[in-house]
Amino acid sequence: MTNSFGEFENAKIFFLIGTNMTEAHPVAAYLVKRALKKGAKLIVADPRKHDLAKKADIYAQIKVGSDVAFLNGIMNVLLTEDLYDKKFIEENCENFDELKNTVMAYPPEKAEQISGVPAGTIREIARTMAAVKPAMLCYTLGITEHTCGKNNVMSTSNLQMLLGNLGMPSAGVNPLRGQNNVQGACDMGALPGVYPGYQSVANKEIKEKFAKAWGVDNLPEKPGLMIPDMMAALPTKKVRAFYIFGENLANSEPNITHVERELGSAEFIVCNDIFHTETTRFAHVILPAAAWCEDEGTFTSSERRVNRVRKIKEAPGDAKPNWWIFKEIAKRMGHEWKSNSTREIWDNEVSVLAPAYAGIKYSRIDGGENEPMNRDGLQWPCPNQDHPGTQFLHRDGKFTRGKGLFKGIEWTPPAEVEDAEYPFVLSTGRRLFHYHTRTQTARSGLDMILPEETADISHADARELGIANGEYVRVSSRRGSVKVKARVTEQIPPGLIWMAFHFREGNANWLTNNVFDPETKTAEYKACAVKLEKIG
Amino acid sequence: MAKTIQIDGKVFPFDGTKTVLEIARENGIYIPSLCYHPRLGPASKCRVCVVEVEGMRSLQTACSLMPTDNMIVQTSTERVIEARKMVVNLLLANGNHNCLYCDMNGDCELQEVVHHLGIEHPAFIVEEKMELDDSAAFILRDPGKCIQCGRCIAGCNDQVVNEVLDFGYRGSHTAVICDSDIPMGQSTCVQCGECVQLCPVGALLEKKNLRKAFPWETRKVRTTCPYCGVGCQLELHVKGEQIIRVRGVEGAQPNLGRLCVKGRYGYDFIYSPDRLTTPLIREKDGNLREAGWDEALDLVANKFKQIISESGPDAIAGVSCARSVNEDSYNMQKLFRSVIGTNNIDHCART
Amino acid sequence: MKEKTREKINTIIKKYPEKQSAVMPVMQLLQKENKNHLNLAGMKDAARAAGLGLNRVYGIATYYTLFNTKPVGKYHLQVDTCVPGFLHGADKIVRHLEKKLGISVGETTKDKLFTLSTVQDLASCATGPVIQVNDRYYENMTPAKTDKLIESLKKGKYPESDTSMNIVSKSNILLNDRTQKDCTGLAFYKKNGGYRALKKAMTMEPEQIIDEVKESQIRGRGGAGFPAGMKWSFLPKNDTRPVYLICNADEGEPGTFKDRQIMEFNPHLVVEGIAISARAIKAAKAFIYIRGEFGWIADILEKAIEEAKKDGQLSHVDILVHRGGGSYVCGDETAQIESLEGMRGNPRVKPPFPANFGLYGCPTVVNNVETLANVPYIVEKGAAAYRKIGNPNNHGPKIYGISGHVNKPGVYEYPLGTKLDELLKAAGGVKGTLKGVIVGGLSVAILTAKEAKNLVLDYDSCQKAGTALGSGGIIVINDTVSIPELALRTIEFYHHESCGQCVPCREGSHVITAKLRGLLAGKGKMEDIDLILHLCKNIKGLTLCPTGEAFSVPIQAMITKYRKEFEALVK
Repeated sequence: MTNSFGEFENAKIFFLIGTNMTEAHPVAAYLVKRALKKGAKLIVADPRKHDLAKKADIYAQIKVGSDVAFLNGIMNVLLTEDLYDKKFIEENCENFDELKNTVMAYPPEKAEQISGVPAGTIREIARTMAAVKPAMLCYTLGITEHTCGKNNVMSTSNLQMLLGNLGMPSAGVNPLRGQNNVQGACDMGALPGVYPGYQSVANKEIKEKFAKAWGVDNLPEKPGLMIPDMMAALPTKKVRAFYIFGENLANSEPNITHVERELGSAEFIVCNDIFHTETTRFAHVILPAAAWCEDEGTFTSSERRVNRVRKIKEAPGDAKPNWWIFKEIAKRMGHEWKSNSTREIWDNEVSVLAPAYAGIKYSRIDGGENEPMNRDGLQWPCPNQDHPGTQFLHRDGKFTRGKGLFKGIEWTPPAEVEDAEYPFVLSTGRRLFHYHTRTQTARSGLDMILPEETADISHADARELGIANGEYVRVSSRRGSVKVKARVTEQIPPGLIWMAFHFREGNANWLTNNVFDPETKTAEYKACAVKLEKIG
Repeated sequence: MAKTIQIDGKVFPFDGTKTVLEIARENGIYIPSLCYHPRLGPASKCRVCVVEVEGMRSLQTACSLMPTDNMIVQTSTERVIEARKMVVNLLLANGNHNCLYCDMNGDCELQEVVHHLGIEHPAFIVEEKMELDDSAAFILRDPGKCIQCGRCIAGCNDQVVNEVLDFGYRGSHTAVICDSDIPMGQSTCVQCGECVQLCPVGALLEKKNLRKAFPWETRKVRTTCPYCGVGCQLELHVKGEQIIRVRGVEGAQPNLGRLCVKGRYGYDFIYSPDRLTTPLIREKDGNLREAGWDEALDLVANKFKQIISESGPDAIAGVSCARSVNEDSYNMQKLFRSVIGTNNIDHCART
Repeated sequence: MKEKTREKINTIIKKYPEKQSAVMPVMQLLQKENKNHLNLAGMKDAARAAGLGLNRVYGIATYYTLFNTKPVGKYHLQVDTCVPGFLHGADKIVRHLEKKLGISVGETTKDKLFTLSTVQDLASCATGPVIQVNDRYYENMTPAKTDKLIESLKKGKYPESDTSMNIVSKSNILLNDRTQKDCTGLAFYKKNGGYRALKKAMTMEPEQIIDEVKESQIRGRGGAGFPAGMKWSFLPKNDTRPVYLICNADEGEPGTFKDRQIMEFNPHLVVEGIAISARAIKAAKAFIYIRGEFGWIADILEKAIEEAKKDGQLSHVDILVHRGGGSYVCGDETAQIESLEGMRGNPRVKPPFPANFGLYGCPTVVNNVETLANVPYIVEKGAAAYRKIGNPNNHGPKIYGISGHVNKPGVYEYPLGTKLDELLKAAGGVKGTLKGVIVGGLSVAILTAKEAKNLVLDYDSCQKAGTALGSGGIIVINDTVSIPELALRTIEFYHHESCGQCVPCREGSHVITAKLRGLLAGKGKMEDIDLILHLCKNIKGLTLCPTGEAFSVPIQAMITKYRKEFEALVK
């Protein structure tokens, strides 16, 4: 997120696209709703008319996978009606002409054809956004989980730059991260191309810095593989050993049948986990890990805030902290690492090697002497120990790379679209009462509230197919088929089916399409073609 | 010159942003209250925080009273104490305020006030017990302990804006209702527990760990929620190794005390009997067997070494965890880059 | 939902600056269109229309007494058994109806034709006993008239109502001749000099009007007697927010039935008063918050507004009649504002005062009907002329409502400062022997016959006499009345009406009711009497709004002045 949750309450207008905060980020939804009570405006673009969509001043029910066309349509109006922030663009951005050339080919009527959002609504959104400044744009996986995910993301920043909505409070481009520490795992360099703090592995100086700090002669400079490529390399034995730390890939990756074939073909799989999962079935070695509450440490939230995580109990049996497991493997491979606690790892390594965290030390986020836990985390960038942390990025329009780069982006359809045989679009996500593959929530009593998966369908489709609410139906794609309860809801437009991946039975990922954004390798969880059949 | 207020003979400067109640409390002067909560502001409903102000005919509620220069406030005159005692006795006259049995014993604002005022026996009538609402998954409602302070309602409607709770009916029939006065478990309540956190008494209890601990038996540990990416700050109330309840940390960014159902109630998994407790190695026959750490780790290290020597470091790939702490991910990528010698390290960064 | 209903809802919503304010009118509409029953579907529709949660709508529906959340019979018979009704024999009518219909209070006849309820105060004090049938009043009821009413209703026909009442207007400013057929019409009003004051006001600067009203020294007629001109002058200067004027027509203090006389028979006077006042305080939108029971009076006002508008009188202000839902507390100005905003009628904490932070957080003035009805006279004749009426510091005409044990109960428009004895004489004298009198509506301290002797009826004199003029609702009690029974009726009213927000009022009224019931049932103890006095003493001044004082003062007075009667109940 360029901006912070604390700024939500004073926001004047929100533009929410591809995010259902009420279920996926409930506390963020509270903040939005509080702002609405204080008079903020709300624009929601989403295929589902979810809780916040119902509260929206303007709701655009866009077709799955049409985001670029829709956003280009809005920008087209901003340009043709001369509603964009020229001063901001002149001073802070570049490549405006490219954007202009592309966007001019997306008049609202064309955007309507692709997105299903009436041209009038697109104009209204553009005019409303131009009239109220700043606007806070938020998105979640509805934007990223497409074969055009990166393009979707860039379109959102195009829009915000065009409106000059960056570099100030209650503005910005704000992806809400789906998992508690997905931000942190990125920050820590669990990415094939960067070291901790987004320092490129291809940069020689940086490589040398890390090599020196880590006491090795050399480090690889070729960027590594991303998850789908790693898995694709298992059957070919290009990747022979696969180390899976705390991820349940067998349920969470698209096209379970295919994923399990890949995992089953692996020569050697190591899993660190706290439970047996569908994935550990494929492991050759399973290492029991300490869980949340069983070790000290830090999480980094969506708003770049490094928060403390604390220990209240011992890990059960012989379970060990993950950092210790990695350290022990390193030791057995001839590397003796010094840091012997999370505090030492952070204070002596992370914050020393990554300039963005240089000012963040455990002592600063732990708290005062009398109240050792009373401090909030710090938001990076935090370059030195006197720095208060950064509430919002790009202050006064000053971007990290210098100038904000516009990019002309063409819309591309999802890889698989509905046809005569598979006439429905399936889109997927998370629900309020469960989390991911339920390894945690199923063991915390939340099954009491939501005991099984459902396929959410529209009233119109239910009527047409004679399906009653709560009745079992069959949903099938080219990749698989599941039997699942139908949930008939006014949230869903005709032609759409919406499912989650919390339960093994009826998991959406038996159906989802294992196709990926060419650059980010994010899977297209949000769009594939399926058919819906009544069973009884 | 700074403006000042005199409370119980002591002079305090003030800047006009704080109420008399806040000034008094900051300076160690106890003024009891029941409906006031720092996050919700003054409600002036309970009338327990009344004080006597020189020049004002009626007693004033300190929670809503803004100081004026040279204001003279008495917090515990005979008149004030008599009024407070009457109010508290009126509250005790109805319902079932049985501390002996209550989970909030020791962490109850009504109990604190009763104790402070020295009310040994309720002075008036006591009405029959009201029925519990046990219908919801995690929250137990005991209307017999409710004092109609309205904090749960303010929380539900203004803090988390879930708009489930409200006051229904009127006068002495006033009651906290869910939707159209249906049991909580059948209502649109999503069990975020904001109401429980704000309840000053034991009218809203958590079913998890009911009667497992008195408040004074728990230690409070601040941590960060393990679910979504908002990063809510949790206060764990822990007895021994057991989490008894979870509260949002008041005043802490980003949630300022608010939580969702998973953050507040999704913690039991760490105690699950399904937890992995020992390293496991898969035998040739496909079965897993328990192993010691040395054996398991040696096996992993040796296999990695073998593959590196046979196929090069890029034949090993790893996926880190977006749920675990930063330091774990740091060490994993460090292992891959500096020990194995590959950048084949990723995590589900995009999901 | 029917398309027609939806249209009506949209029309209602458009009338209000904020749509949440439309929630009660929409609920009222949906109840009316569903056999007088606001069911769950109706509440959900109302919630959706006003953009609110169902919880809020249910909270409103169960707060205001006029919403029937359970089905009721085709004819909902509601007998006012509050103090004036009680004095006029309402209990007899209740018993008669129970016998006649074969049901108890709270029940519905098997044929679903009749539901019988007792209600608290219908502002029909001099014309009791009164039965409200759905939204119609049947006054001056006797068992024989009741029989006729029931027979007629059984045939599906509402009979004519006997609304006869004694009405004397000595001052001749506020009350017109209600016997004239067209007395509510514009032509009648204008023929008698109506709207001349407004014409004059439109040529005056707003500040001049405020000054004139200030100089008249008129004191608010709602009960507190606060100078109205001063209230206006509290509005912030140079503020960009809209200013709202609310005419408080939520007349609900038992013993008080004066505002309804002005509105029902001289509606244009109210409209003109509002129009002038709106100009004075620069309000472009004014509301008449009228108690929901006065449905037909609201219609009369709406018609008058329409006439005045057509006549070009209201070019500067839009006046909207807003019907309340049945709540005494909504007579309090901040509770009224809350109610108008579509909430439960809970009074607000003050400060901030409405002048600064009222309706929708904007500067707001709330004035009583009678206060506003005085304004045209002040503006037309001038403050000096106005001050000639009445006593020093207590100027102008006052409508005294006299109910209870007098021979000619009714309304009497006399100058402020008239002697009680003179008024009682005008009202045909006391029936039987005077035991006590309540001169300012039920919420003031009762005076014994001795104390009432030579009492001058103005704000200052009444205060000196240890009571208050309040709304000028005079309840006369003769020696057939048991004061403990009167006390119970009194506390039952406030217990029923307490909004329930603050502890001393909610719980205090509850405990006092229980203790008084116990005493009257012969189960009381001597210490209960002292406990009630202890509660009254401490509740006074301790509650969030004046309601606590409204019951603690009269109960305390009844017990201290007639203690022996209470002690006699202890066995």
